[in-house]
This record gives sequence, structure tokens and C-alpha cells, in this order.
Amino acid sequence: MKRPAIAVTGLGMITPVGHTTDTTWDGVCAGVSPARTVPELLGCEVDFACTVTGIDLDDAVGGRTAFRMGRYVKFALLAAREAVADAGLDPARWDGARVAVVVGTSSGGSAGLTEQTVALERRGPAATSPSGILLTIPSMPAAEIAIGMRATGPSLAPCTACSSGVTALSVARDMLTLGRCDIAIAGATESIVFPVAMTGFARSGAAALRDGDPARLCRPFAADRAGLVMGEGAAIMVLERAADARARGAVPRALIAGAGATTDAHHPTSPHPSGEVAGAAVEAALRDAGWRAEEVDHVNAHGTSTPLNDATEAALIRRSYPHRPPVTAPKGVLGHCMGAAGAIEAGLTVLTLQHGVVPPIANLDAPEPGFDIDCVTKAPRRVPVRRAVSHSFGFGGQNAVIALQAP
Amino acid sequence: MQTIHPKITEVLTATFKVPAAEILPESTMDSLEMDSLAVAEFAVVIKETLGVDADSEKLYKGSTLADISAYIDAVVGGAGAEATVPVSNTR
Repeated sequence: MKRPAIAVTGLGMITPVGHTTDTTWDGVCAGVSPARTVPELLGCEVDFACTVTGIDLDDAVGGRTAFRMGRYVKFALLAAREAVADAGLDPARWDGARVAVVVGTSSGGSAGLTEQTVALERRGPAATSPSGILLTIPSMPAAEIAIGMRATGPSLAPCTACSSGVTALSVARDMLTLGRCDIAIAGATESIVFPVAMTGFARSGAAALRDGDPARLCRPFAADRAGLVMGEGAAIMVLERAADARARGAVPRALIAGAGATTDAHHPTSPHPSGEVAGAAVEAALRDAGWRAEEVDHVNAHGTSTPLNDATEAALIRRSYPHRPPVTAPKGVLGHCMGAAGAIEAGLTVLTLQHGVVPPIANLDAPEPGFDIDCVTKAPRRVPVRRAVSHSFGFGGQNAVIALQAP
Repeated sequence: MQTIHPKITEVLTATFKVPAAEILPESTMDSLEMDSLAVAEFAVVIKETLGVDADSEKLYKGSTLADISAYIDAVVGGAGAEATVPVSNTR
């Protein structure tokens, strides 16, 4: 199939290190994690996380609507506003019928559901919110963006665990390719730093347990890595066919060159130890992009800091890209933003293409001996990057890889 | 009666981010651009914090804030003990 080039013309982010794309980029390049004890997690086995702080989300979202939005919805809406403004688009003037919204999430409003459960059990039905369902369902980020921006084209919420963000970008790209829309607002959001989810991650064995300063705990690809640290946030992109973007005078940040997705079909939490199926997602993305593996200048890894993921992924990177391109893993700084992670990391990959800078992996001196990969450590590395990939490998074995290139 | 119960002002500004300058005794939920979902949520917060039960459609929708205040004052009477169990704390 002959695909039209798809351009990233806008980018918006809200993360534990910044409320905008620029501040997030600066924070990720600084290589220091903001992970800290979270008061709301008092008494939990894992009582720390990387959270979005220093912003009144309700004020930022605006009056009379914030009450009906879960934190995950507010993140998405704020990131979408930044992305659309960044693209130089004005929702008051566009043909909303040609605008699609594709915003993924892994857990949606599970935090809101839990709050409502507590209210119902302790105080009865009259104490629950009439917006209880809206605070819960995973489709509300896409729906609220559509409402706020008069986007009446198709909208949906891809849900593929930690790869939801890349899945959303890939689906939106396909919709543009097929002519289902002219503009796609695409990305992902997540906020599950609340006791039930944090306890679940602790009990699953995936989460790093407290050991000194939480900010030093997430160390992707380190020999002494101890598990994931939770993050939260959102990243949203504006995607358009490159020819349309050029026609209206927009300057693309990057192009989506390819995407690949596979499913391990192996185990709910453990990646298949061979990494073959995840590797097949890489191969599919490269094939889709028409690239040879040695043309990849940079890998933005999934790098969760769990023993199993990082071992499997390091071997996969070694096999898939034998020329040893520089590797980063933003979760060292941001924590694991779950469903939003893939979108945030794709956004950071776009910025690497634009700036020619690969951010360092936080808390890493050197990768585990035997991981024969070129991890960027300590400081950002200045290197020309024309072609880059971002990996997302989700719980449930849902793998998604996106190939991005300079315009 | 031309005063507004302080809880009304507090809820409108804190939960619904209605600018304080717009909150007048003669304001209605309609004039404050509070839609039916917002009014229903408002009723829950009033019930949870003041213990005042009211049919949100009938009482809150068409009434002025002065009317609502008078109703709340009548129900609360002299007791005025405030329950302070928040419906939400992490949103």
C-alpha cells in the first residue's frame, strides 16, 4: 500500500517534570527523577511515585467542567490544547467534521471508580457523584477533547496497556492514510497513582520497593535495577498528511515513517523471554518505514527498570540494531507513565530528531555487563538523528513500535 | 433575604471555579452557566457537607442563590453542624 507521509505538526505534554513540551524536554535532559513520597499513598507498601505537581488542574482546565473529569481526562485535555496551539490550528475555525480524536489510556478512571466505591459503601448512593461514570470510563479523554474543540469526526480510546500511546498514534496515522479525517489529535493519558493501583503493582512484583531515595530507584538497564517506579501524565500530537500540512504552511516537527504491532500471546505480566515477538514488532515498523535496521540512528527504549523487560529488551536491541545506535530510556526520569508512556516517549523521540540530542538514562552509570548496547548516561548526547524508533511493550504482551524521522 | 450561604460561595468557587464576582444573591444556576450535571453535583456536595437534601432539578435549577440560601438556613436551623466528608480527594 502506498502511504501518504504523515506529519507531526503539534505536540503537547504534561509530565512529572513539566506541564508543557518544553519544560518536559528540559526535565528529561536534566536526567534527574522527581520521584518522591506521595502523601495520598500513606501506609501503602509503595508510597512514592513520579507525579504531576505544581499546577492547579481545575484552574487550568477551566470552570464548570473540571468537576466531571478524572485526573487522566484533565491531563489529556491540557496536552491536547498545547498540541493544537503548537500546530497553529484554531478549533473555532477548523472543519470539525474532519478532525478525529484518538487518545488511549490503560486504566482510564480506575482512581475515580475506587473513590465512588468508597463513597457508595460508606455513605450510600446519594453520596456518589452524578458524574461517577464520567470519572471512570476510558473514552472520556477523547470525548472531552472533542467537546472542547468541536471535533465531530470519529473519536476513540485505544487500550493496549503500556503501549496504548503508540497504538493511538498508529491508529490515527491509519485513519489519516485512509482519508477518514484530515487532522488527528492523538496520544495517551494516565493517572493511577492511588492506593489500590499502587498496591496492585507492589503485589504483582513489578514495582520497585523502597530502598533509599525514590528518585534513585528507577535505573533502566542497570545491573541492580529493582523494578518500575510509577509515573503519570499525557502526551498528545496533532497529525496531518504532510502534503496538507505543507499546503497550509505548517512546519512539521517530524514524520511518522512506520509502525509495527505484535502480541506475545505468552503471559499477562512477563514478556516472552526470547523477545522474538517483540522483535517482530520492530521488524514490522522498519519494514513499514522502508528502512534497513542500520539506518536507525537512535532507540528510545521501553526500559522499565524491571529485571525481565530490560534483559529481554537489551538483547532485542542488540539483535535488531547490530550497529549499536545510542539508546535512552525516559522512565529513569519520568517513572512509568503506563498507558501514556508510549505517547510521551514518542514525543521525546520527536524532540530528539528536532534537537539532535539524546537525553541520558537517569540513575545509570553503565548498563549491566553483558547488555551490549550503547546507553546514553550522565549527560545528554549531541548526535545527528535522522531516523529513530520508540519501543512500547505492554502488560499482556501488547507490543507497539513507532518509527519517526526528521521531515 | 439577600445573603448567600458561605458554603454556596465556597462550593461554586472551589469545585466549579465560578468567578467570585459573578456570585450574586440574584444569580441562578442558569445564569452562572451551571448545566444539569453541574447542578446535580452541587446538590451532592451540599448534601454531603451540610446534610441538606434537596431535589436538585426543582430547588436549584430555577432558584436564585438567595432562595437556596434561605432554604439551607431553614433546614440547617440553629444546629449548623457541618459534616466534612469529601466525596473526592484525588481528582
